[in-house]
Amino acid sequence: MCGILAVLGCSDDSQAKRVRVLELSRRLKHRGPDWSGLHQFGDNFLAHQRLAIIDPASGDQPLYNEDKTIVVTVNGEIYNHEELRKSLANHKFRTGSDCEVIAHLYEEHGEGFVDMLDGIFSFVLLDTRDNSFIAARDAIGITPLYIGWGLDGSVWISSEMKGLNDDCEHFEVFPPGHLYSSKEGGYKRWYNPPWYSEAIPSVPYDPLVLRKAFENAVIKRLMTDVPFGVLLSGGLDSSLVAAVTARHLAGTKAAEQWGTQLHSFCVGLEGSPDLKAAREVANYLGTVHHEFHFTVQDGIDAIEDVIYHIETYDVTTIRASTPMFLMSRKIKSLGVKMVISGEGSDELFGGYLYFHKAPNKEEFHRETCRKIKALHQYDCLRANKATSAWGLEARVPFLDKEFINVAMSIDPEWKLIKPDLARIEKWVLRKAFDDEENPYLPKHILYRQKEQFSDGVGYSWIDGLKAHASEHVTEKMMQNAAHIYPHNTPTTKEAYYYRMIFERFFPQNPARLTVPGGPSVACSTAKAIEWDAQWSGNLDPSGRAALGVHLSAYDHPLPAAIATGNKKTRMVEVPTPELVISS
Amino acid sequence: MCGILAVLGCADTSLAKRSRIIELSRRLRHRGPDWSGIHCYQDCYLAHQRLAIVDPTSGDQPLYNEDKSIVVTVNGEIYNHEELRAKLKSHEFRTGSDCEVIAHLYEEYGEDFVDMLDGMFSFVLLDTRDKSFIAARDAIGITPLYMGWGLDGSIWFASEMKALSDDCERFISFLPGHIYSSKKGELRRWYNPPWYSEQIPSTPYDPLILRKAFEKAVIKRLMTDVPFGVLLSGGLDSSLVAAVASRHLAEAKIARQWGSQLHTFCIGLKGSPDLKAAREVADYLGTVHHEFHFTVQEGIDALEEVIYHIETYDVTTIRASTPMFLMSRKIKSLGVKMVLSGEGSDEIFGGYLYFHKAPNKEEFHLETCRKIKALHLYDCLRANKSTSAWGLEARVPFLDKNFINIAMDIDPEWKMIRHDLGRIEKWVLRNAFDDDKDPYLPKHILYRQKEQFSDGVGYSWIDGLKDHANQHVSDAMLMNASFVYPENTPTTKEAYYYRTIFERFFPKNAARSTVPGGPSVACSTAKAVEWDAAWSKNLDPSGRAALGVHAAAYKDVAPENATAYADSPSVNGFPPTHKDGMIEVAASATAR
Repeated sequence: MCGILAVLGCSDDSQAKRVRVLELSRRLKHRGPDWSGLHQFGDNFLAHQRLAIIDPASGDQPLYNEDKTIVVTVNGEIYNHEELRKSLANHKFRTGSDCEVIAHLYEEHGEGFVDMLDGIFSFVLLDTRDNSFIAARDAIGITPLYIGWGLDGSVWISSEMKGLNDDCEHFEVFPPGHLYSSKEGGYKRWYNPPWYSEAIPSVPYDPLVLRKAFENAVIKRLMTDVPFGVLLSGGLDSSLVAAVTARHLAGTKAAEQWGTQLHSFCVGLEGSPDLKAAREVANYLGTVHHEFHFTVQDGIDAIEDVIYHIETYDVTTIRASTPMFLMSRKIKSLGVKMVISGEGSDELFGGYLYFHKAPNKEEFHRETCRKIKALHQYDCLRANKATSAWGLEARVPFLDKEFINVAMSIDPEWKLIKPDLARIEKWVLRKAFDDEENPYLPKHILYRQKEQFSDGVGYSWIDGLKAHASEHVTEKMMQNAAHIYPHNTPTTKEAYYYRMIFERFFPQNPARLTVPGGPSVACSTAKAIEWDAQWSGNLDPSGRAALGVHLSAYDHPLPAAIATGNKKTRMVEVPTPELVISS
Repeated sequence: MCGILAVLGCADTSLAKRSRIIELSRRLRHRGPDWSGIHCYQDCYLAHQRLAIVDPTSGDQPLYNEDKSIVVTVNGEIYNHEELRAKLKSHEFRTGSDCEVIAHLYEEYGEDFVDMLDGMFSFVLLDTRDKSFIAARDAIGITPLYMGWGLDGSIWFASEMKALSDDCERFISFLPGHIYSSKKGELRRWYNPPWYSEQIPSTPYDPLILRKAFEKAVIKRLMTDVPFGVLLSGGLDSSLVAAVASRHLAEAKIARQWGSQLHTFCIGLKGSPDLKAAREVADYLGTVHHEFHFTVQEGIDALEEVIYHIETYDVTTIRASTPMFLMSRKIKSLGVKMVLSGEGSDEIFGGYLYFHKAPNKEEFHLETCRKIKALHLYDCLRANKSTSAWGLEARVPFLDKNFINIAMDIDPEWKMIRHDLGRIEKWVLRNAFDDDKDPYLPKHILYRQKEQFSDGVGYSWIDGLKDHANQHVSDAMLMNASFVYPENTPTTKEAYYYRTIFERFFPKNAARSTVPGGPSVACSTAKAVEWDAAWSKNLDPSGRAALGVHAAAYKDVAPENATAYADSPSVNGFPPTHKDGMIEVAASATAR
């Protein structure tokens, strides 16, 4: 990933302003340790911190069109850039950077080109001919982007909040799939796929179509000029990513440069379930597997840093980000600059356990739509910022535009969890890769259920966090929580502890509004709480019991394969904070 | 390089203190991006940010002895660690880290082991058995180290000032070659080589002994488990480092892992003298050569960051650090973690042009001694911190302990610049590598004189810096300089400009005292200013003319074969490039 910061129309073209923009841009240096650039045009500044993945030698940013009238600063990867270049036969390219097409596409098509880009991106483009600009963010919000407004009439756009929070009067999350145009002075959504309307689709499930779409999504993401690997927790999603990557690596340009053996990475407390599960998959696939161990103390020592980087006070996100943050540092120290990761599958296919209680296929489908739309505030934010903190880029094939279209056009009847038909969660995905002749994964891995919600890195991780928070937060502090934090009031000591750290780094009012809140059960949206009357009656910590009873009662009709030994621990663990914190 | 931070006896064992120390340690993260560790024993904290060069997989710090009663946090490379390990047969090692020997050596020998270490290092060792500690810094100060005192009775040590400046009441630059022992409560020098007394040595010059010593110094420094390269400006020193490294790379363990082709790196403004000179050397040696170009604007945009990282307001250091800082980022982005560099040769051999005016061999020798002792404030500081800003490690073979002993043991008569004998500056070094049968470098490179003082990266670099400073600093500001900055008062707008940035990052009195000052001519020490009456009278910017004239006058004596002097057309009998160099130097002399 890279880091971008743009300040537009600040009515100040002084050296002091330039120095200030440089200083703020340096706050994003972790995202792009390789080089930095600043383009100034009058009172417009476009700054860039670069992580060089494609064309390390010449692709420094900002990027330009032929006569340098159009300047663009981009954080992203455009997977179809070669194809787009071909469509721009009359344009002359200055670099080998995949992002340079953006300047030329704008020249050719004006503001309407964004949907032509296949990839992940956030960019700001300045047209110096009429001093106008546009900014845009990818469909799902895999890359982070914030927008802010200064009292001097300036518009600010930054990859992370820390690039603009001190200098803007107001700022907010730039909505994914949107474009901001200075000419129109507002957003418009450029991303309009069929699923977005939340109408219930009716295409019958075809396992091979789904498989092919996923394979294409992975292959696209092997575009790199630097060493890479896959994050492998041993669960279904990351194992599929690893299996497909390993299978297709041989033919790629990356393999010519860096070898055909895939590197895989896993993090956990010593002896954790993830480490064991990942090792099993790595052995099966024959990857060069790297295991990283951390201690609860290592994790706790990193919490402040994690919150500063991830820019959230959402409890589940912080819990899950910390091991990923620690692992990213280790991965980067090995010289690896890019990893492929499994985020998004649980949202597309309803993989969270509470989906067991979806009353019907319509509700199931709408909940998946809501979850995908919220991804940018949760797993996308975590995956991007936890890795970018160390100059590592995460790519997420499950959130490929085309793959989403295919997966979200399947009649949701097929996604429903039906113990009577032996369909566990994400069955459509499992089934799609159940190839008897040439198996991607052994059956017991393909159909296994793994720990959710950070338990996989080791059961004592979350217990350790809670114990640590209790040392810092007293009962008295909790009693006043609603007065001190009237918005998204923390209801556990752990949440209160994270919130204090967040407020210290980001004290402005708009900062706390960038983080989502509201009632939730086990990562559900607020809406899905209606699925069970007992859930909504138990949104306080005592809800733990209610959910525990419900799910364990539900255990009986499940096939034996689901009722694993670990399950109860996991179930009990989940409700306490999730009930109150996440959505 | 790594980054270390230790806080000892702070009478506070709270969680808040632990988080504060972790937060401060993060200010050193650029030095060691690969991992971090903290060890807490009662009210003593040892923190570490690691750059993994040797044993990346298991050498995370702090390091321990067998029963963990001795804890050590180290920034350094111990080149003779295998030999030392062999001596410590009864000890069981936990990691493959070269620095682990420190814990075991202490266990075996107590505080007196430091001189056994061959390498560069700064470390803090805590003996939990009696809660005592020691801290030490390498002989020359290749690795940086600062020491501070808190009002709570705590003692602080940090690789960079930025980690302790906010929390200490007073702090100093930890003297190189010294050890601090909590038991004795004082600093004492552990480094006692013959040259340190500044006696005039009398060993006759033997080119082969000098050559051999340098080759050994380079070979030692090929100890690495990660990709590395050489900084090559095309001047004598870096070219020799590259020539020797490429010759011995094939035998090194590292070649099996990362290939036997040497990578070299050079930076300059487009079309700069260094780029051209380095390319020529790289072509001759057949290295994989990487050229990086920067613009004056990019350099200026980086200044604040450079000053924050380098922690100085010394003008020549900042000028030279900026291109090195920019280049280090590019080198690191290629996956290279370590580079060899040519610092130290000018000090050991009297390579600066003002040495032409040394009145006699005694003065010449004394000046080289003074220069070496001051290296930690100038070139060592620059080389270490410009690279460490991006998690790149610089190793400097010219500052090998044994090589210094040999080079400083030579009768200085041989080092004197003797135009009558065709001996230009650093002739003993050039001649040592003048091998007709198996040449290290072509003769014209071996005997060429190159731009000094940052002119090599491009002549417009320093002009650009001055222009930029002029825009920021008014005449009125400069007039009041001695009132605003009574200590080390800046006398040029450029110096004033750097100073304002420095003061913003490091506002404490103690901080400005860590930076050297005093009169200087062309990088000389204050003492050498006495070599020429005209110099001492002209320490203000007008001294520029004086130095120019003098150097030019001197040219008449030089024989025709005295190399570059005669090669290019000259204005007043002095070649333009050197004249620029001299002018540059004199103007900045006021800042040093």
